[in-house]
Amino acid sequence: MDVFTQIIVSGLTLGAMYAISTVGLSLVYGSLNMLNMAHGGILTIGGYAAYAVSQQWGWPPVFGFLAALVVGAAVGLLIFVATAWPLLSSKNFETNIFIATIGVGAVFENIVLKLFGPYAKPQPLNIAGGIKIGAVLVPYQNISILVVAVVMMILVALLLQRSRTGRAIRATAQNRDAARLMGVNVVRVYAQVLALSGALAAVSGVMISSLATLSPTMGGDPMLKAFIICVVAGLGNTYGAVAAAVVIGLIEASTQYVLGVRFGFALLLLLVIAVLIWRPSGIFGKSRVVRL
Amino acid sequence: MLACASAVPFVFPERYLITQMTVFFIWATVVTQWNLVLGVGGIFSLAQMALFACGSYGTAMLGYYFHWPLWLAMPASAVLALAVSMLIGLACLRLKGPYVALLTLAIAQVIYLLIINDTECFTTNEGGCMPLFGGVRGIGKFGDLGFRDLFGSKFIVANYFLGLALLATAFAFSVIVIRGPLGLAFRALRDNPGYAMSRGIGQFKYQLWIFALSAFFTALAGAVYAADFRVVGPTIFSFTLLLFLLSMIVVGGMGSVWGPLVGAVVLMVADEGFKEFQDWRALGMGLILPLFVVLLPGGLTGLFGRGHAKSATATKVRAVANGKPPRGSLT
Repeated sequence: MDVFTQIIVSGLTLGAMYAISTVGLSLVYGSLNMLNMAHGGILTIGGYAAYAVSQQWGWPPVFGFLAALVVGAAVGLLIFVATAWPLLSSKNFETNIFIATIGVGAVFENIVLKLFGPYAKPQPLNIAGGIKIGAVLVPYQNISILVVAVVMMILVALLLQRSRTGRAIRATAQNRDAARLMGVNVVRVYAQVLALSGALAAVSGVMISSLATLSPTMGGDPMLKAFIICVVAGLGNTYGAVAAAVVIGLIEASTQYVLGVRFGFALLLLLVIAVLIWRPSGIFGKSRVVRL
Repeated sequence: MLACASAVPFVFPERYLITQMTVFFIWATVVTQWNLVLGVGGIFSLAQMALFACGSYGTAMLGYYFHWPLWLAMPASAVLALAVSMLIGLACLRLKGPYVALLTLAIAQVIYLLIINDTECFTTNEGGCMPLFGGVRGIGKFGDLGFRDLFGSKFIVANYFLGLALLATAFAFSVIVIRGPLGLAFRALRDNPGYAMSRGIGQFKYQLWIFALSAFFTALAGAVYAADFRVVGPTIFSFTLLLFLLSMIVVGGMGSVWGPLVGAVVLMVADEGFKEFQDWRALGMGLILPLFVVLLPGGLTGLFGRGHAKSATATKVRAVANGKPPRGSLT
């Protein structure tokens, strides 16, 4: 029973963190058909922004969190202006943006390396202590991650469903040309989506680094997992991505417990491949009829 | 050109130049093959270095554990990579573009993680514990091609020619693919997918072909890498290396015959020139990709205009794909 609680707690925490970073990726793919390979870089920058503000400047942790949000949004916007915007009308947009953002991600990683050095650092946004459920100590850190993640998810869902901006984003994702004809400023929608995705990535970077440590390469692994989650859910399906993130977090926590940390990721991958052979466009993805 | 390249070691006998040229041959081979997959076949594969590793690790392990002579181990590991790429291809190629990219990247990453996290001793040697895949330190002492005994201190020249032969073969193969039926099939699929498919040109089939055949040469390059460096480690999975090779394709011009070679030359020379700024190397590499994709999408070869022969074939194929019979045919 205790083991069970343990797995549920760490699985849900993992799932919450993955969900936050996956939602951003999924939104960007859904509206722009853009695989943002610099997503991991934003994650790292977010983690370090929180560190810089709350550790190096000595401001209260809340400001560290807010700084990560703002910096992440700015970086997302920068990616849009520097790569996606000039490429929008190019013929092979998907390939080109993919390659360009691989480069941008490497640039981010190296800037962080230059500014903060290669050594791992602890993330100061950490809450000590915890509560006991049965014999298991559940750290407040995990609980706060869960709460923050759920709050952010609700905010994003409200933004998408209830606001004018959200409606424009959904319209653009559904049919770019129709949205443009209805008077939606598509370029502005794209910029908003990338800024939102950047902010979410930065928050997830803060969370991930608060459980592990900060390092310039910390973004790579979560990004790969976020991608896998997106793929399982069906690229561009935002709500499916959240569900898949939680499920995959739980699966990862239990395989790590049963088989050891080493095989967690490999097993996850096998599972994903199996899913994709069964449903080539993801579990929640609709197979579209392609018209030539 | 082949003659010029063959003359280099005799005209400029500096050791450093010759070894660097050998490295260039290996990377250029990988890049020409990757270009086939990415630029011609339209497959977003990021597993190229995993296939390369298949060749080098295969060679090293066959040499180390089974004491196979490298001449046998090298082609054997290339065939092994062919089989592995078939498996990867069967799993990935039915999917759409971006799904392929993510899965291949994930596969490469998992292989890397399994290698470096493996700390259990498989055997012990004089260096102590040795995991099955060599762990972080890699595998060494798996024998060599015998050039040292044959040529004495001139063995680097022998390695040079091995690399040159490899690149020449791989390049010839890439020209055959681009100009031959496979290239035509892909061009037809790009220009008019509906007509191409109704004429029996299935994308999956041709993608699997191009992926597997280029994997063979990629792994052969990996095998030559193992024979040349005489040690194989997990560094070949590094992201910087992947970035370096991808930059070569993008700088040279994706999908073209000469692009990858031009890109490989330019980047190897630039890398040499910026040796003093090692710290900034990765940053520069990172900047190259978006700069070229945004400002010069055709790469350097795109800048100097398309070759005459290429545009001629393209027109012909387009005519065929649009349903117009070529002049002189009986319909």
